[in-house]
Amino acid sequence: MPDTESANFANVMVAPTPRDPSYSMWFGRIFLATVRREIAEVGRYRMAVLVRLLTLALGAISFYFLSQFVGVAPNHHLERYGSSYLAFGIVGLVAMDLQHVGVSVFSQRVRMAQVMGYLEAQLASPAPAWLVLAGSPVYDFGVAGLRSVAYLAGASFIFQVRFGHMQLASVLLVSLLVLLAFVGLGLLTGAGTLLARRANPVAAVLGGLSLFLSGVVYPVSVLPSWLQSIARLLPLTHALEALRRALLQGASPRELAPSLLALGLFAAILAPAGFGLFAYGLYRARIDGSLTHY
Amino acid sequence: MACAPQDADPEEAGDDSPKHGGCRTAWLAPSQNFGYAAPDMIRVRDLTKTFRPPGTMRDLLRGRLFGEPHLALGELSLDVASGEILCVMGPNGAGKSTLLRMLAGLLVPSSGEAEVAGYDVRRAGALMRRDVSLVVGDERSFHWPLTGRENLMFFAALHGLSQAQARIRVAEMLGRVGLDEVADRRFQEYSRGAKQRLAIARGLLGHPRVLLLDEPTLGLDPRGAQDLRHFLRDHIKGGAGRAAVLGSNDPGEVRAIADRVLFLDRGRIRGESRPDQIGSFLGIADA
Repeated sequence: MPDTESANFANVMVAPTPRDPSYSMWFGRIFLATVRREIAEVGRYRMAVLVRLLTLALGAISFYFLSQFVGVAPNHHLERYGSSYLAFGIVGLVAMDLQHVGVSVFSQRVRMAQVMGYLEAQLASPAPAWLVLAGSPVYDFGVAGLRSVAYLAGASFIFQVRFGHMQLASVLLVSLLVLLAFVGLGLLTGAGTLLARRANPVAAVLGGLSLFLSGVVYPVSVLPSWLQSIARLLPLTHALEALRRALLQGASPRELAPSLLALGLFAAILAPAGFGLFAYGLYRARIDGSLTHY
Repeated sequence: MACAPQDADPEEAGDDSPKHGGCRTAWLAPSQNFGYAAPDMIRVRDLTKTFRPPGTMRDLLRGRLFGEPHLALGELSLDVASGEILCVMGPNGAGKSTLLRMLAGLLVPSSGEAEVAGYDVRRAGALMRRDVSLVVGDERSFHWPLTGRENLMFFAALHGLSQAQARIRVAEMLGRVGLDEVADRRFQEYSRGAKQRLAIARGLLGHPRVLLLDEPTLGLDPRGAQDLRHFLRDHIKGGAGRAAVLGSNDPGEVRAIADRVLFLDRGRIRGESRPDQIGSFLGIADA
């Protein structure tokens, strides 16, 4: 038999023909088509986009007023992060948003494709399944990244939050590990959606737990010690600690070693587990014939 | 290559076996029966698909994760030669769509073998999906807020086409299926027939050698259906090394387009005939 996935890989990667672009070019075309599709859809639901933007802006503004309220008194819990509650809160908001996107995006996209019915049609195309399924989440991550930059830029230019001490190498390293850990979690929840054909509650549960324990709106140090121990089991706790110290205090990778190690461990476990279970979910869907079920 | 008889066990067919005027068609090779000496584009041997639905609460309490297995397709063997159009007829639930999805590599067979355009369907990869296209008229398989052109442009990217290549190919396909005038209307505004045409245009985006079509003219007006049949016959007969399998329950369509007809019932082949003889199988008058 001439066709195996590995044979495809060899054919496409080593000797592309005019009909077979390289994987990177192919993915680029799918990604651009996804962006065009999303922009076209967004253009047709302008009111929904306006409401979403307004919600995000209100979130940021409420942190500003919260910082006005708590910022007047010195707070030793905030010294570690530069003493500005607004900066502390904005970074918490950004990381929380990234976690939400990372954990829910695969599950939401798979569920939407199941319900809307285009999952099978897309997987019947020549593009390998991972190219088809990666396009939309990469778009969502891109939008989340832009949103994060907008939050930080807005905080800097409008509310005069200072990121002058930012250590770029640390920020990039933390972002990479956070991305891997969240994508791993996201793939695990996406696989759950593929297998169970139900909307996945993991993102909501993890979001609630993280908001409570990970130090999104208050530092973990205010929690009782036994809750702090539980908080260390959540990746967002380490992500926030490392991001805040890298962004606000200019901490070097060496200074962030404990947080980076914890994030690395999460990434090393969650990313392969997520990829493996997602691949299994797709395989099961081809056995059960459930690509079009919802 | 001879097709093996599927209804070897007469008891299994029982009283529900289709009435076909006593004509249990001889199982002859396409080359003997219909003059196809070309190499096979599709070769299926003992293909079986059994679904195991998730267990109900009762099953789970009995310690079983899955419900009773359901045989969707049983030990099916067939060949389709190059240049041939095979129609598969049968009542709802007969296994037509399951067969087409397995041939497209979207469903993994429980047992048996199937080769389509030289590819093993179990390992259906990108190369196979380039040569084999499944056309389903499922309205749910498109993005409703987008226009017909935008939908096809997205699928063209999945075929690896650049934007410039896609623009040309999409315009060509939209024209070919007669949708060029409504190409920039949203899919949700399309009539059922227009949606069906768009599904066919999508299926042809990648120059497939094997077309698998599930009720392709369902919802088309008579003129549109006739155009499409002519187009499909021209497409299959006009190029070397092409073939099609069509799931349909429309006798007119089958007579107009098929070279050979296979009758499925409850997952098993119950017979085979020429298109002009399907009336005896279906218990209706032949045209």
